[in-house]
Amino acid sequence: MAIQKDRVKFNVGGKIFETTATTLAIAGRDSYFASMFDENWDLQLNPSGDYFIDRNPDCFSILLDLLRTGELYIPPHVPEKLLYREALFYGLMGHVRTAKWGSFDGNRLQPLTSITGRAPGDGTAIRASPEGGCCVAHGSMVHIYDWMLSEQHPINLDYQRVNDACWVGPVDPTGLVISTCERLGRGQGGMGLFNTTTGELRHKFSVTHEGVVKSYTAGALSFNDSYNLFSSCKGRSNEYGIGVWDQNTGQQVDFFYEPPGWSLGDADKLQWLNGSNCLLVATLFPRKDNCYISLLDFRSKSMVWSWSDMWSPANGDDRRVRDAIAMEENGSICVVNEFEDLGFMDLRRESSSVRWSSRSRLMKGKMPDEPCYPKLALHEGQLFSSMNDCISVFCGSDWVLTSRLRRSFGGSICDFSIGGDRLFALHSEENVFDIWETPPPSIV
Amino acid sequence: MSRSQSKTNFQIEAYKHKVVVDSKYADRIWRLLEHAINEIYNQNASGLSFEELYRNAYNMVLHKYGEKLYTGVASTMTSHLVIMSKCVENVHGEMFLDELHNKWVEHNKALRMICDILMYMDRSYVPGSHKRPARELGLNLWRDNVIHLTGIQTQLQNTLLHLIHKERTGQVINRGIMRNTIKMLMDLGPPVYQVNFERPFLEASREFYKVESREFIECCDCGNYLQRVEARLNEEMDRVSCYLNPKSEVKITNVVEKEMIANHMTRLVHMEHSGLVNMILDDKYEDLRRMYNLFRPVPNGLSTIQEVMTSYLRETGIQLVNDPEKLKDPVEFVQGLLNKKDKYDKIITLAFNNDRNFQNAMNSTFEFFINCNPQSHEYISLFVDDKMRKDFKGVSETDVEVVLDKLMMVFRYLHEKDIFEKYYKQHLAKRLLSGKGTSEDAERSLVLKLKTECGYQFTSKLEGMLTDMKTSRDIIDGFYLNHGAELGDSPGLLVQVLTTNSWPIQPSGTCNLPAELTSLCDKFRSYYLGTHSGRRLSWQTSMGTADIKVRFVNGQRHELNVSTYQMCVLMLFNDTDQLTYTELERATGIPSLDLKRSLQSMACVKGKNVLRKEPMSKDVKDGDVFFVNEKFTNKFFKVKIGTMITQNETEPEKHKIRERVEEDRKPQIEAAIVRIMKARRVLDHNNLMAEVIKQLQPRFLANPIEIKKRIESLIERDFLERDGSHRKLYRYIA
Repeated sequence: MAIQKDRVKFNVGGKIFETTATTLAIAGRDSYFASMFDENWDLQLNPSGDYFIDRNPDCFSILLDLLRTGELYIPPHVPEKLLYREALFYGLMGHVRTAKWGSFDGNRLQPLTSITGRAPGDGTAIRASPEGGCCVAHGSMVHIYDWMLSEQHPINLDYQRVNDACWVGPVDPTGLVISTCERLGRGQGGMGLFNTTTGELRHKFSVTHEGVVKSYTAGALSFNDSYNLFSSCKGRSNEYGIGVWDQNTGQQVDFFYEPPGWSLGDADKLQWLNGSNCLLVATLFPRKDNCYISLLDFRSKSMVWSWSDMWSPANGDDRRVRDAIAMEENGSICVVNEFEDLGFMDLRRESSSVRWSSRSRLMKGKMPDEPCYPKLALHEGQLFSSMNDCISVFCGSDWVLTSRLRRSFGGSICDFSIGGDRLFALHSEENVFDIWETPPPSIV
Repeated sequence: MSRSQSKTNFQIEAYKHKVVVDSKYADRIWRLLEHAINEIYNQNASGLSFEELYRNAYNMVLHKYGEKLYTGVASTMTSHLVIMSKCVENVHGEMFLDELHNKWVEHNKALRMICDILMYMDRSYVPGSHKRPARELGLNLWRDNVIHLTGIQTQLQNTLLHLIHKERTGQVINRGIMRNTIKMLMDLGPPVYQVNFERPFLEASREFYKVESREFIECCDCGNYLQRVEARLNEEMDRVSCYLNPKSEVKITNVVEKEMIANHMTRLVHMEHSGLVNMILDDKYEDLRRMYNLFRPVPNGLSTIQEVMTSYLRETGIQLVNDPEKLKDPVEFVQGLLNKKDKYDKIITLAFNNDRNFQNAMNSTFEFFINCNPQSHEYISLFVDDKMRKDFKGVSETDVEVVLDKLMMVFRYLHEKDIFEKYYKQHLAKRLLSGKGTSEDAERSLVLKLKTECGYQFTSKLEGMLTDMKTSRDIIDGFYLNHGAELGDSPGLLVQVLTTNSWPIQPSGTCNLPAELTSLCDKFRSYYLGTHSGRRLSWQTSMGTADIKVRFVNGQRHELNVSTYQMCVLMLFNDTDQLTYTELERATGIPSLDLKRSLQSMACVKGKNVLRKEPMSKDVKDGDVFFVNEKFTNKFFKVKIGTMITQNETEPEKHKIRERVEEDRKPQIEAAIVRIMKARRVLDHNNLMAEVIKQLQPRFLANPIEIKKRIESLIERDFLERDGSHRKLYRYIA
């Protein structure tokens, strides 16, 4: 029957390999080898005492090595695509993906490649998927790339402008939520869940006000841990606020109406804070004349923290907040202005004011023709800020600048995203995006 | 020219992006795979090569024949399942489930091998094609072609239900095959399990238990019935854990509870000779516990038990507090209450899981009937008195605490705690002054408990009394330390200095003490006033006692324990043999009522008649003459004469307590009104009434008419005023 002894001999495309059943067991239940040695199959040895597999021997040796060592080494003469194809045959794609690049570290990033998109207009947003792929939104199109960076079915939103996109996450790796502008008179627009493999619409999220389904424009998106989806919403009859949907049922479960004199429905950014169970909502210049940042507690239906620059003296200077991110571990919110000055606000104090960092690098006069305003991201204690054509990495309790990421072409970076242990940066001019990843750890 | 010619000669073939495998090739591969699937189903797989089949399936998907592969597999599998279903359908009786299970095992094994081959299809073709993965496909096909086949569906359902019925009627069935079959239904997904088994199962169970409960209730008593229900519930839970989906447990227990308990609840509780009341009566904790547990999950189950329990408790409680036998003896009366409380406490602890609702219901019922009898207040205090006087002698501190705690429990039920306090103060005073209390610690402990219950104000006087007793001892000690030497052999003096307001004593006139004592008392007075300046000391001769040694003419010696009044009378007989009543009255200055009573107890009670009266009659009249009774005999050396008193109060005295309480309540009500109005400034009548009643609740139930009177009085005294526009509004005047 199966294997009497631990040693196994394969003849792959004419080349003999010898390994052990223990090594093959690492491949897991969903692999070719697990099925092959299943006791249901009365496995036949060749007269020469081996099992024949009609596949490419070079790739087999790489994959066998991967099972033996957990590391992936691809010799220059083997094209990556070839290896991926073979890995798919054996059911070892997951192993290859895990070994391909190391866990994310902003200071050790290497440029992997740049991909030129074929979108005609300016990029709106780029979002990394948890698997290491990404989606790029341009106008009314969203292009999807898997972790091998091959393009999937593009998603066409039928002339409705895309505002934001958000991956559902590990529970549904092919799910992507896209928010779009409302289309007047046709009840279209809003927000939908798409299948990124087929490009099909799986669910459309609707907003109900007082029992009536209304059409709306969906803006910034965010998920929380308990599978709730948040989106800033603008309705036709001033129904502005933050909508909440249950991801499992797809039904609206809550709606936080915008208080008078404040902005929620136009938000640029939503961020869920696990520790305090709150949602950060930031509406920033120039979408509105003033900046509004608030933390919402949905259990008590209250705004537990808020800040706005509408009361600060109009000093006419240039320090308008362009992006904001909450850093729960530090109990603060980091903001950035168009000159990439970082500012900080205390989350634990009500009516806090911005403490601008003295590291300010004023760039008056040297701004490019078509400037891109800074964006912020946070990943495991590292703060990232994009400005023009470069991304800065800040570390430590004082947020010291530790690295700069820059590619020479593509113009300013209009958006970037970190996910699946990769960083994706979208340029505005050439419709190019770069992928940065951390190399696997060294051998010793 | 030659160039142009060469151009025409050259035919460049268009580059083929994809090697398109022609459909004949695809057909050939498919036939191969089809054959393999057939062989797998025929259990003839030994000749098949996994490598080859996997590669073929892979190639079909790779060359865009995934659809063909998928539908092919589905139809081949279907044809085999149809054959299998025919085999199963034709088996009846005992073997049906076995046959079904065998086929299921066969199908599963085949399916697993097919999935092995189609792994690549599952990974690459299925996700983008709206199809289910191969394993799910196989299960769905089994469901549609085998389980949902009419012949099989009904037979399966009937067989399962029949077997369960057999098991319920006590026969042994093959649980293994049940488990396997039901596991199969669960593998096919929750809807299949529910439709094909769970729903009909619940329906059949409902029918079964409906019939059974009717049978049982006719032939069993309540305890027995509940035992059977419990057994049935355990059986069902055992069944679920053995071979059903764990999620069915709640559903089936609900059915049993509904049919066997909920539908017969009232009848069970009220069952004659064995219902709830009888269980309580006979202390059947086990049965009560069972009833509680079985009724708990049923809607209104516990409230039914609770209602019956409280109405029974109320009925027996009212009987108890109005029982003329018990009313004769306060100790018996309170002991009856305590026993009842103990009994119900025990039931609630042992049988009702310390359920809060039951405790609350019990408490409010006790509260209700204890307050039904206005004498409760007095009796409880008398009970304490009795305990303190007698029962606590030689009892350990912890035991005393237990009794006191129980008493406090009963005390809490009283509505008019201030009445209790009045009684208690009197009883305590008597106890302390007569020196009859057994343990000061116990007294203090109880006062402390009352304090934690009702606050400082409530017990300040009681505490004052206890403190007086202690300081009195110190004062006497100090007196004898300072003046002991100069006193010589004058009589011993024990003084209790009582603070005027703390004690429930009306000041009374003093009598003329014998000369020996007068000088002693004066010495004490000067000592006391010397150490405590600015005080006034007056003697309460009506309260004292004295021990005097007597030598009768016949040589008999006795030590007599008498009251101070009696002592004054007897001392007069040291100098003379006979005295008339008027002489006595003049010499002692004792109020005539007290004097008559004292003389009565010394002259008219047999065995204690140290005096002789002429004429001999029960009552003392002004003209009577008294002699020393020379023939007095008593076998004891010490004789307690005592004064005739009744333990129970006389009617007018009771009236007086009522009045005093009412009088004392007035300032308390006023204080509450002022406190509330000071905080609220403006308040309407109804709210003010409610707040006052609420504030005074821990001490007594304020009478609304009285509150109204107090408000009027406060308005008169300019503490409050009525609002100009709203007559219902009161305003506080600062």
